[in-house]
Amino acid sequence: MAEYSKPLPVIETWNAPYWQAAKRHEFVAQRCQACGYTHLPPGPVCTNCLSAAQDWVQLSGKGTIYSYGIYYQLWHPGFTADIPYNVALVQLAEGPQIISQVVDCKNEELDCGLKVEVVFEDATAEVTLPKFRLVRNNS
Amino acid sequence: MGLRDLRDQVCIVGVGDTPQGAVPHKTGDELAIDAARAALQDCGLKKDDIDGLFVQRSYGHQGDYLKVGLMLGLNPRVGGAIDGSGATGCYMLQHAALLLQAGMANYILLLYGTNQKTNRNRFGEALLEEHAPYGAFNPSLPFAFAFRRHMHLYGTTEEQLATVALNQRQHALLNPKAAQRTPLTLDDYMSARYVVWPLRMFDYCYITDGGHAFVLTTAERAKDLRKPPVYIRGMGRQEAFRAYETPDLVMQSFQQQAVAKMIFNMADVGVKDLQALYVQDAYSPAVFAALENYGFCPQGEAGRWIQGGRIALGGELPVNVNGGQLSETYMVGWQNTCDAVRQLRGEGGPRQIKDVELLMCTYTGGLREHAGALILQR
Repeated sequence: MAEYSKPLPVIETWNAPYWQAAKRHEFVAQRCQACGYTHLPPGPVCTNCLSAAQDWVQLSGKGTIYSYGIYYQLWHPGFTADIPYNVALVQLAEGPQIISQVVDCKNEELDCGLKVEVVFEDATAEVTLPKFRLVRNNS
Repeated sequence: MGLRDLRDQVCIVGVGDTPQGAVPHKTGDELAIDAARAALQDCGLKKDDIDGLFVQRSYGHQGDYLKVGLMLGLNPRVGGAIDGSGATGCYMLQHAALLLQAGMANYILLLYGTNQKTNRNRFGEALLEEHAPYGAFNPSLPFAFAFRRHMHLYGTTEEQLATVALNQRQHALLNPKAAQRTPLTLDDYMSARYVVWPLRMFDYCYITDGGHAFVLTTAERAKDLRKPPVYIRGMGRQEAFRAYETPDLVMQSFQQQAVAKMIFNMADVGVKDLQALYVQDAYSPAVFAALENYGFCPQGEAGRWIQGGRIALGGELPVNVNGGQLSETYMVGWQNTCDAVRQLRGEGGPRQIKDVELLMCTYTGGLREHAGALILQR
Protein backbone atom coordinates (compact mmCIF):
# COMPACT_ATOMS: atom_id res chain seq x y z
CA MET A 1 0.00 0.00 0.00
CA ALA A 2 1.38 3.38 -1.02
CA GLU A 3 2.16 5.77 1.78
CA TYR A 4 -0.83 8.00 2.60
CA SER A 5 0.12 11.50 1.50
CA LYS A 6 -2.94 13.61 2.37
CA PRO A 7 -3.27 15.60 5.59
CA LEU A 8 -4.55 13.62 8.55
CA PRO A 9 -6.84 14.92 11.27
CA VAL A 10 -5.17 16.36 14.33
CA ILE A 11 -6.60 14.30 17.16
CA GLU A 12 -6.88 16.04 20.50
CA THR A 13 -8.90 15.80 23.69
CA TRP A 14 -12.32 16.77 22.40
CA ASN A 15 -12.37 15.08 19.04
CA ALA A 16 -10.62 11.82 20.04
CA PRO A 17 -13.89 9.91 20.61
CA TYR A 18 -15.11 11.01 17.15
CA TRP A 19 -12.03 9.63 15.43
CA GLN A 20 -11.93 6.49 17.60
CA ALA A 21 -15.53 5.80 16.59
CA ALA A 22 -14.71 6.40 12.93
CA LYS A 23 -11.95 3.83 13.19
CA ARG A 24 -14.63 1.37 14.36
CA HIS A 25 -16.73 2.53 11.35
CA GLU A 26 -19.17 4.31 13.59
CA PHE A 27 -20.38 7.84 12.96
CA VAL A 28 -21.02 9.78 16.16
CA ALA A 29 -21.73 13.22 17.55
CA GLN A 30 -22.02 14.76 20.99
CA ARG A 31 -25.43 14.90 22.61
CA CYS A 32 -26.08 17.05 25.64
CA GLN A 33 -27.35 15.23 28.74
CA ALA A 34 -29.01 18.41 29.97
CA CYS A 35 -30.92 19.64 26.93
CA GLY A 36 -30.64 16.84 24.37
CA TYR A 37 -28.94 18.99 21.72
CA THR A 38 -26.86 17.08 19.14
CA HIS A 39 -23.77 18.90 17.92
CA LEU A 40 -20.54 18.78 15.95
CA PRO A 41 -17.66 19.65 15.81
CA PRO A 42 -16.66 18.18 19.18
CA GLY A 43 -16.14 20.56 22.07
CA PRO A 44 -16.00 20.75 25.84
CA VAL A 45 -19.58 21.92 26.37
CA CYS A 46 -22.98 21.94 24.72
CA THR A 47 -23.16 24.82 22.22
CA ASN A 48 -26.84 25.23 23.08
CA CYS A 49 -26.80 25.34 26.90
CA LEU A 50 -23.11 25.16 27.99
CA SER A 51 -23.60 21.98 30.02
CA ALA A 52 -20.39 19.99 30.27
CA ALA A 53 -22.27 16.70 30.54
CA GLN A 54 -22.04 15.30 27.03
CA ASP A 55 -22.65 11.82 25.65
CA TRP A 56 -21.41 10.43 22.37
CA VAL A 57 -24.29 9.03 20.33
CA GLN A 58 -24.52 7.15 17.05
CA LEU A 59 -25.85 9.17 14.13
CA SER A 60 -27.93 7.69 11.34
CA GLY A 61 -25.26 8.59 8.82
CA LYS A 62 -28.02 9.99 6.60
CA GLY A 63 -27.97 13.48 5.20
CA THR A 64 -28.36 15.67 2.15
CA ILE A 65 -25.89 17.69 0.11
CA TYR A 66 -26.46 21.30 1.18
CA SER A 67 -23.87 22.51 -1.30
CA TYR A 68 -20.52 21.56 -2.77
CA GLY A 69 -17.53 22.78 -4.71
CA ILE A 70 -15.14 21.07 -7.10
CA TYR A 71 -11.42 21.66 -6.74
CA TYR A 72 -9.56 22.24 -9.98
CA GLN A 73 -6.72 24.05 -8.22
CA LEU A 74 -4.17 21.91 -6.41
CA TRP A 75 -3.17 23.23 -3.00
CA HIS A 76 -1.72 20.03 -1.51
CA PRO A 77 0.39 17.44 -3.37
CA GLY A 78 -1.53 14.60 -1.71
CA PHE A 79 -4.54 15.45 -3.89
CA THR A 80 -2.68 15.53 -7.24
CA ALA A 81 -4.31 12.38 -8.58
CA ASP A 82 -7.78 13.45 -7.39
CA ILE A 83 -8.12 16.76 -9.29
CA PRO A 84 -10.88 17.67 -9.98
CA TYR A 85 -12.30 16.48 -6.66
CA ASN A 86 -15.41 17.47 -4.76
CA VAL A 87 -15.81 18.85 -1.26
CA ALA A 88 -19.35 18.84 0.07
CA LEU A 89 -21.20 20.51 2.89
CA VAL A 90 -23.47 17.75 4.16
CA GLN A 91 -26.58 18.54 6.14
CA LEU A 92 -26.91 15.65 8.58
CA ALA A 93 -30.36 14.33 9.45
CA GLU A 94 -29.68 15.04 13.14
CA GLY A 95 -28.95 18.74 12.58
CA PRO A 96 -25.26 19.61 12.26
CA GLN A 97 -23.52 20.24 8.96
CA ILE A 98 -20.10 18.79 8.22
CA ILE A 99 -17.54 19.26 5.49
CA SER A 100 -16.60 16.01 3.78
CA GLN A 101 -16.43 14.42 0.35
CA VAL A 102 -18.86 12.40 -1.73
CA VAL A 103 -17.18 9.26 -3.08
CA ASP A 104 -18.01 6.60 -5.66
CA CYS A 105 -19.64 9.03 -8.06
CA LYS A 106 -18.73 11.39 -10.86
CA ASN A 107 -18.65 15.07 -9.99
CA GLU A 108 -21.32 15.65 -12.64
CA GLU A 109 -23.75 13.48 -10.67
CA LEU A 110 -23.65 15.79 -7.65
CA ASP A 111 -26.45 18.21 -6.90
CA CYS A 112 -27.71 20.21 -3.97
CA GLY A 113 -30.39 18.35 -2.07
CA LEU A 114 -29.32 14.81 -3.03
CA LYS A 115 -29.53 12.22 -0.27
CA VAL A 116 -26.26 10.78 0.97
CA GLU A 117 -25.16 8.25 3.55
CA VAL A 118 -21.92 7.86 5.43
CA VAL A 119 -19.16 5.49 4.33
CA PHE A 120 -15.82 4.92 5.99
CA GLU A 121 -12.50 5.31 4.24
CA ASP A 122 -9.61 3.70 6.06
CA ALA A 123 -6.86 6.20 5.32
CA THR A 124 -4.12 4.66 7.46
CA ALA A 125 -3.92 1.90 10.04
CA GLU A 126 -4.83 4.50 12.65
CA VAL A 127 -7.21 6.89 10.91
CA THR A 128 -10.54 6.38 9.18
CA LEU A 129 -12.32 9.28 7.47
CA PRO A 130 -16.12 9.44 7.41
CA LYS A 131 -17.15 10.28 3.84
CA PHE A 132 -20.45 10.05 2.00
CA ARG A 133 -21.97 8.34 -1.03
CA LEU A 134 -25.13 9.06 -2.96
CA VAL A 135 -28.22 7.11 -1.94
CA ARG A 136 -28.99 5.76 -5.39
CA ASN A 137 -32.65 4.93 -4.86
CA ASN A 138 -33.66 8.53 -4.29
CA SER A 139 -37.36 7.79 -4.76
CA MET B 1 -26.56 56.75 25.49
CA GLY B 2 -27.20 54.57 22.49
CA LEU B 3 -25.62 53.87 19.15
CA ARG B 4 -27.72 56.57 17.48
CA ASP B 5 -25.92 59.18 19.59
CA LEU B 6 -22.77 58.26 17.72
CA ARG B 7 -24.29 59.24 14.36
CA ASP B 8 -22.09 61.77 12.54
CA GLN B 9 -19.96 62.34 15.65
CA VAL B 10 -16.75 60.81 14.29
CA CYS B 11 -15.01 61.40 10.97
CA ILE B 12 -12.42 59.85 8.74
CA VAL B 13 -10.13 62.81 8.15
CA GLY B 14 -7.09 61.22 6.56
CA VAL B 15 -6.51 58.39 4.11
CA GLY B 16 -3.20 57.10 2.90
CA ASP B 17 -2.08 54.41 0.51
CA THR B 18 1.04 53.18 -1.25
CA PRO B 19 1.66 51.72 -4.68
CA GLN B 20 -0.30 48.45 -4.98
CA GLY B 21 0.48 45.31 -6.95
CA ALA B 22 4.07 44.08 -6.68
CA VAL B 23 6.21 46.21 -4.35
CA PRO B 24 9.14 43.82 -3.92
CA HIS B 25 11.57 46.12 -2.16
CA LYS B 26 9.39 46.76 0.94
CA THR B 27 8.13 44.63 3.79
CA GLY B 28 4.46 44.77 4.78
CA ASP B 29 5.36 46.83 7.84
CA GLU B 30 7.25 49.36 5.73
CA LEU B 31 4.24 49.66 3.44
CA ALA B 32 1.98 50.23 6.45
CA ILE B 33 4.29 53.00 7.63
CA ASP B 34 4.44 54.59 4.17
CA ALA B 35 0.64 54.62 4.21
CA ALA B 36 0.67 56.18 7.68
CA ARG B 37 2.91 59.01 6.46
CA ALA B 38 0.59 59.57 3.49
CA ALA B 39 -2.49 59.67 5.74
CA LEU B 40 -0.88 62.20 8.12
CA GLN B 41 0.08 64.32 5.12
CA ASP B 42 -3.49 64.02 3.82
CA CYS B 43 -5.04 65.47 6.99
CA GLY B 44 -2.18 67.73 8.06
CA LEU B 45 -1.56 66.15 11.45
CA LYS B 46 1.85 65.39 12.95
CA LYS B 47 2.91 62.01 14.21
CA ASP B 48 2.76 63.08 17.83
CA ASP B 49 -0.84 64.26 17.48
CA ILE B 50 -1.75 60.56 17.21
CA ASP B 51 -2.87 59.08 20.53
CA GLY B 52 -4.49 55.91 19.25
CA LEU B 53 -3.03 53.16 17.05
CA PHE B 54 -4.55 49.96 15.65
CA VAL B 55 -2.68 47.65 13.29
CA GLN B 56 -4.20 44.80 11.33
CA ARG B 57 -2.04 41.71 11.23
CA SER B 58 -1.38 40.74 7.64
CA TYR B 59 -0.78 37.35 6.12
CA GLY B 60 2.82 36.30 6.46
CA HIS B 61 3.11 37.35 10.11
CA GLN B 62 3.51 41.04 9.47
CA GLY B 63 1.56 43.87 10.98
CA ASP B 64 2.46 43.10 14.58
CA TYR B 65 1.01 45.96 16.62
CA LEU B 66 3.91 46.19 19.05
CA LYS B 67 6.53 46.08 16.33
CA VAL B 68 4.81 48.66 14.14
CA GLY B 69 4.25 50.93 17.16
CA LEU B 70 7.96 50.72 17.94
CA MET B 71 8.91 51.49 14.33
CA LEU B 72 6.60 54.51 14.30
CA GLY B 73 7.97 55.80 17.60
CA LEU B 74 4.54 56.29 19.14
CA ASN B 75 3.33 56.26 22.74
CA PRO B 76 -0.38 56.03 22.00
CA ARG B 77 -2.92 56.24 24.80
CA VAL B 78 -5.08 53.50 23.26
CA GLY B 79 -4.51 50.84 20.66
CA GLY B 80 -4.06 47.21 19.84
CA ALA B 81 -4.86 44.52 17.35
CA ILE B 82 -8.29 43.19 16.45
CA ASP B 83 -8.88 39.80 14.91
CA GLY B 84 -11.90 39.88 12.65
CA SER B 85 -10.25 38.34 9.60
CA GLY B 86 -11.54 40.15 6.50
CA ALA B 87 -13.76 42.41 8.61
CA THR B 88 -10.89 43.63 10.81
CA GLY B 89 -10.56 46.96 9.03
CA CYS B 90 -14.27 47.64 9.55
CA TYR B 91 -14.09 46.65 13.20
CA MET B 92 -11.07 48.93 13.75
CA LEU B 93 -12.93 51.89 12.28
CA GLN B 94 -15.81 51.12 14.63
CA HIS B 95 -13.58 50.75 17.69
CA ALA B 96 -11.87 54.01 16.82
CA ALA B 97 -15.24 55.75 16.56
CA LEU B 98 -16.29 54.46 19.99
CA LEU B 99 -13.00 55.46 21.64
CA LEU B 100 -13.07 58.93 20.08
CA GLN B 101 -16.67 59.52 21.07
CA ALA B 102 -15.92 58.38 24.63
CA GLY B 103 -13.01 60.78 24.84
CA MET B 104 -10.32 58.15 25.33
CA ALA B 105 -8.37 59.44 22.32
CA ASN B 106 -8.34 62.46 20.03
CA TYR B 107 -6.72 61.23 16.83
CA ILE B 108 -6.56 57.54 15.96
CA LEU B 109 -4.38 55.98 13.26
CA LEU B 110 -5.33 52.65 11.66
CA LEU B 111 -2.81 50.69 9.59
CA TYR B 112 -2.57 47.72 7.29
CA GLY B 113 0.34 46.63 5.14
CA THR B 114 1.31 43.42 3.39
CA ASN B 115 3.75 42.06 0.85
CA GLN B 116 1.87 38.84 0.30
CA LYS B 117 2.22 39.01 -3.49
CA THR B 118 6.00 39.21 -3.27
CA ASN B 119 5.92 36.50 -0.59
CA ARG B 120 3.80 34.35 -2.90
CA ASN B 121 1.12 33.65 -0.35
CA ARG B 122 -1.13 31.05 -1.99
CA PHE B 123 -3.80 30.87 0.71
CA GLY B 124 -3.48 27.10 0.55
CA GLU B 125 -4.35 26.24 4.12
CA ALA B 126 -7.64 24.78 5.24
CA LEU B 127 -9.76 27.33 7.07
CA LEU B 128 -10.16 24.88 9.91
CA GLU B 129 -7.61 22.14 10.53
CA GLU B 130 -10.33 19.49 10.57
CA HIS B 131 -11.17 20.24 6.92
CA ALA B 132 -7.69 19.50 5.56
CA PRO B 133 -8.13 15.70 5.31
CA TYR B 134 -11.00 16.35 2.89
CA GLY B 135 -8.98 18.67 0.66
CA ALA B 136 -10.98 21.72 1.70
CA PHE B 137 -8.29 24.34 1.19
CA ASN B 138 -8.46 28.10 0.56
CA PRO B 139 -10.99 30.59 1.95
CA SER B 140 -13.01 30.55 -1.28
CA LEU B 141 -14.80 27.31 -0.41
CA PRO B 142 -17.69 28.88 1.54
CA PHE B 143 -18.24 31.25 -1.39
CA ALA B 144 -18.28 28.32 -3.84
CA PHE B 145 -20.84 26.65 -1.58
CA ALA B 146 -22.90 29.83 -1.41
CA PHE B 147 -22.91 30.41 -5.17
CA ARG B 148 -23.64 26.77 -6.01
CA ARG B 149 -26.54 26.92 -3.55
CA HIS B 150 -27.71 30.18 -5.12
CA MET B 151 -27.69 28.51 -8.56
CA HIS B 152 -29.69 25.61 -7.15
CA LEU B 153 -32.29 27.69 -5.33
CA TYR B 154 -32.76 30.56 -7.77
CA GLY B 155 -31.51 29.38 -11.15
CA THR B 156 -28.65 31.86 -11.10
CA THR B 157 -26.10 31.37 -13.88
CA GLU B 158 -22.33 31.65 -14.17
CA GLU B 159 -22.84 34.35 -16.81
CA GLN B 160 -24.78 36.39 -14.26
CA LEU B 161 -21.98 36.01 -11.74
CA ALA B 162 -19.51 37.14 -14.42
CA THR B 163 -21.15 40.57 -14.34
CA VAL B 164 -19.52 41.23 -10.95
CA ALA B 165 -16.00 40.69 -12.25
CA LEU B 166 -16.63 42.44 -15.58
CA ASN B 167 -18.22 45.46 -13.90
CA GLN B 168 -15.32 45.87 -11.53
CA ARG B 169 -12.72 45.46 -14.24
CA GLN B 170 -14.50 48.15 -16.23
CA HIS B 171 -14.15 50.44 -13.22
CA ALA B 172 -10.49 49.49 -12.72
CA LEU B 173 -9.69 50.56 -16.28
CA LEU B 174 -10.37 54.13 -15.12
CA ASN B 175 -8.30 53.75 -11.94
CA PRO B 176 -4.54 54.31 -12.09
CA LYS B 177 -4.18 52.67 -8.66
CA ALA B 178 -5.69 49.39 -9.87
CA ALA B 179 -3.35 46.43 -10.23
CA GLN B 180 -5.51 44.79 -12.94
CA ARG B 181 -5.99 47.16 -15.85
CA THR B 182 -6.44 45.02 -18.94
CA PRO B 183 -9.94 44.81 -20.44
CA LEU B 184 -11.93 41.71 -19.52
CA THR B 185 -14.69 40.28 -21.72
CA LEU B 186 -17.37 37.71 -21.00
CA ASP B 187 -15.47 35.32 -23.29
CA ASP B 188 -12.31 35.86 -21.24
CA TYR B 189 -14.26 35.18 -18.09
CA MET B 190 -16.06 32.08 -19.35
CA SER B 191 -12.90 30.56 -20.81
CA ALA B 192 -10.87 31.11 -17.64
CA ARG B 193 -10.03 28.07 -15.56
CA TYR B 194 -12.07 27.02 -12.59
CA VAL B 195 -10.34 27.24 -9.23
CA VAL B 196 -13.03 25.85 -6.97
CA TRP B 197 -16.04 25.24 -9.26
CA PRO B 198 -18.35 27.06 -9.82
CA LEU B 199 -15.85 29.90 -9.23
CA ARG B 200 -13.37 30.87 -11.91
CA MET B 201 -10.07 32.66 -11.67
CA PHE B 202 -11.70 36.08 -12.19
CA ASP B 203 -14.01 35.50 -9.23
CA TYR B 204 -10.97 35.61 -6.91
CA CYS B 205 -9.39 38.66 -5.34
CA TYR B 206 -6.14 39.67 -6.95
CA ILE B 207 -3.37 39.21 -4.38
CA THR B 208 -1.21 42.30 -4.03
CA ASP B 209 1.40 44.06 -1.92
CA GLY B 210 0.52 47.43 -0.49
CA GLY B 211 -0.44 49.52 2.51
CA HIS B 212 -3.41 51.56 3.65
CA ALA B 213 -4.03 53.94 6.54
CA PHE B 214 -6.86 55.96 8.05
CA VAL B 215 -6.86 58.83 10.55
CA LEU B 216 -10.04 59.46 12.52
CA THR B 217 -11.10 62.17 14.92
CA THR B 218 -14.24 63.74 16.35
CA ALA B 219 -16.50 65.90 14.19
CA GLU B 220 -15.48 68.92 16.27
CA ARG B 221 -11.74 68.44 15.74
CA ALA B 222 -12.24 67.48 12.10
CA LYS B 223 -13.21 71.04 11.20
CA ASP B 224 -9.64 72.26 11.64
CA LEU B 225 -8.04 69.73 9.32
CA ARG B 226 -6.89 69.87 5.73
CA LYS B 227 -9.59 67.91 3.90
CA PRO B 228 -13.39 67.85 4.14
CA PRO B 229 -14.38 65.35 6.85
CA VAL B 230 -16.23 62.16 5.99
CA TYR B 231 -18.74 61.33 8.72
CA ILE B 232 -19.50 57.88 10.08
CA ARG B 233 -23.26 58.03 9.90
CA GLY B 234 -23.93 54.40 10.71
CA MET B 235 -22.19 51.22 11.72
CA GLY B 236 -23.13 47.66 12.49
CA ARG B 237 -21.63 44.25 13.00
CA GLN B 238 -22.45 40.66 13.80
CA GLU B 239 -20.29 37.71 14.76
CA ALA B 240 -21.37 34.12 14.15
CA PHE B 241 -19.55 31.06 15.39
CA ARG B 242 -22.29 28.49 15.07
CA ALA B 243 -21.44 27.94 11.44
CA TYR B 244 -22.14 24.21 11.51
CA GLU B 245 -25.53 24.50 13.10
CA THR B 246 -27.22 27.30 11.18
CA PRO B 247 -27.48 26.68 7.43
CA ASP B 248 -28.22 30.28 6.51
CA LEU B 249 -24.75 31.26 7.65
CA VAL B 250 -23.52 29.90 4.32
CA MET B 251 -25.50 32.55 2.48
CA GLN B 252 -24.49 35.06 5.16
CA SER B 253 -28.11 36.06 5.59
CA PHE B 254 -28.13 35.68 9.38
CA GLN B 255 -25.03 37.82 9.91
CA GLN B 256 -25.64 40.51 7.30
CA GLN B 257 -29.32 40.95 8.03
CA ALA B 258 -28.39 41.55 11.67
CA VAL B 259 -25.83 44.15 10.59
CA ALA B 260 -28.43 45.76 8.31
CA LYS B 261 -30.90 46.16 11.15
CA MET B 262 -28.29 47.81 13.39
CA ILE B 263 -26.77 50.10 10.78
CA PHE B 264 -29.97 51.37 9.18
CA ASN B 265 -31.40 52.07 12.61
CA MET B 266 -28.34 54.03 13.67
CA ALA B 267 -28.01 55.92 10.39
CA ASP B 268 -31.75 56.54 10.05
CA VAL B 269 -31.57 55.93 6.32
CA GLY B 270 -32.64 53.07 4.07
CA VAL B 271 -31.08 51.33 1.09
CA LYS B 272 -32.84 53.71 -1.30
CA ASP B 273 -30.87 56.60 0.19
CA LEU B 274 -27.50 55.00 -0.54
CA GLN B 275 -25.82 56.19 -3.71
CA ALA B 276 -23.02 53.66 -3.91
CA LEU B 277 -21.94 50.37 -2.38
CA TYR B 278 -18.50 48.98 -1.63
CA VAL B 279 -18.37 45.24 -0.88
CA GLN B 280 -15.31 43.54 0.61
CA ASP B 281 -15.20 41.16 -2.31
CA ALA B 282 -12.63 38.49 -1.53
CA TYR B 283 -14.67 36.42 -3.99
CA SER B 284 -17.35 37.69 -6.35
CA PRO B 285 -20.34 35.95 -4.69
CA ALA B 286 -19.77 38.35 -1.77
CA VAL B 287 -21.46 41.01 -3.90
CA PHE B 288 -24.58 38.85 -4.29
CA ALA B 289 -24.74 38.27 -0.53
CA ALA B 290 -24.43 41.97 0.30
CA LEU B 291 -27.02 43.07 -2.28
CA GLU B 292 -29.58 40.56 -1.03
CA ASN B 293 -28.92 40.58 2.68
CA TYR B 294 -28.82 44.36 3.07
CA GLY B 295 -32.01 44.59 1.03
CA PHE B 296 -30.85 46.27 -2.18
CA CYS B 297 -32.67 43.52 -4.06
CA PRO B 298 -34.95 40.64 -3.07
CA GLN B 299 -33.40 37.38 -1.83
CA GLY B 300 -32.32 35.27 -4.78
CA GLU B 301 -32.54 38.11 -7.30
CA ALA B 302 -28.97 39.43 -7.31
CA GLY B 303 -27.96 37.58 -10.48
CA ARG B 304 -30.72 39.23 -12.49
CA TRP B 305 -30.74 42.51 -10.58
CA ILE B 306 -27.12 43.43 -11.42
CA GLN B 307 -27.64 43.17 -15.18
CA GLY B 308 -28.02 46.09 -17.58
CA GLY B 309 -25.49 48.42 -16.00
CA ARG B 310 -27.32 48.79 -12.72
CA ILE B 311 -24.13 48.42 -10.63
CA ALA B 312 -21.85 50.26 -13.05
CA LEU B 313 -20.60 53.78 -12.60
CA GLY B 314 -23.53 55.93 -13.69
CA GLY B 315 -26.02 53.17 -12.84
CA GLU B 316 -28.62 53.02 -10.11
CA LEU B 317 -26.21 51.63 -7.51
CA PRO B 318 -22.53 51.77 -8.50
CA VAL B 319 -20.71 48.88 -6.80
CA ASN B 320 -16.95 48.88 -6.15
CA VAL B 321 -16.19 51.76 -8.48
CA ASN B 322 -12.48 51.36 -7.67
CA GLY B 323 -12.42 47.82 -9.10
CA GLY B 324 -12.67 46.20 -5.68
CA GLN B 325 -10.45 43.35 -4.68
CA LEU B 326 -11.02 41.51 -7.93
CA SER B 327 -9.32 44.26 -9.93
CA GLU B 328 -7.99 47.13 -7.83
CA THR B 329 -6.06 45.53 -4.97
CA TYR B 330 -6.61 42.96 -2.22
CA MET B 331 -6.35 44.98 0.97
CA VAL B 332 -9.10 43.18 2.95
CA GLY B 333 -11.56 46.01 2.43
CA TRP B 334 -9.24 48.90 3.33
CA GLN B 335 -8.94 49.89 -0.32
CA ASN B 336 -12.73 50.14 -0.63
CA THR B 337 -13.21 52.44 2.35
CA CYS B 338 -10.22 54.51 1.21
CA ASP B 339 -11.89 54.96 -2.17
CA ALA B 340 -15.24 55.68 -0.53
CA VAL B 341 -13.68 58.55 1.44
CA ARG B 342 -12.12 59.99 -1.69
CA GLN B 343 -15.40 59.71 -3.58
CA LEU B 344 -17.24 61.57 -0.83
CA ARG B 345 -14.61 64.31 -0.96
CA GLY B 346 -15.06 64.57 -4.73
CA GLU B 347 -11.58 63.20 -5.43
CA GLY B 348 -12.83 60.39 -7.68
CA GLY B 349 -11.41 61.85 -10.91
CA PRO B 350 -12.81 60.12 -14.01
CA ARG B 351 -14.55 57.64 -11.72
CA GLN B 352 -16.32 60.26 -9.62
CA ILE B 353 -19.84 59.21 -8.63
CA LYS B 354 -21.96 62.23 -9.44
CA ASP B 355 -23.22 64.18 -6.41
CA VAL B 356 -22.42 61.34 -4.03
CA GLU B 357 -23.19 62.17 -0.41
CA LEU B 358 -24.07 58.87 1.22
CA LEU B 359 -22.75 55.37 0.65
CA MET B 360 -22.09 52.07 2.38
CA CYS B 361 -19.06 49.82 2.81
CA THR B 362 -19.68 46.19 3.78
CA TYR B 363 -17.17 43.68 5.06
CA THR B 364 -17.17 39.96 5.81
CA GLY B 365 -14.45 37.70 7.07
CA GLY B 366 -13.36 34.24 7.99
CA LEU B 367 -15.23 31.08 7.25
CA ARG B 368 -18.54 32.80 7.94
CA GLU B 369 -17.85 34.34 11.32
CA HIS B 370 -17.56 38.07 10.75
CA ALA B 371 -19.76 40.72 9.16
CA GLY B 372 -19.76 44.48 9.51
CA ALA B 373 -20.62 47.65 7.64
CA LEU B 374 -20.23 51.42 7.68
CA ILE B 375 -22.44 54.14 6.23
CA LEU B 376 -20.33 57.16 5.35
CA GLN B 377 -21.55 60.64 4.60
CA ARG B 378 -20.02 63.77 3.15
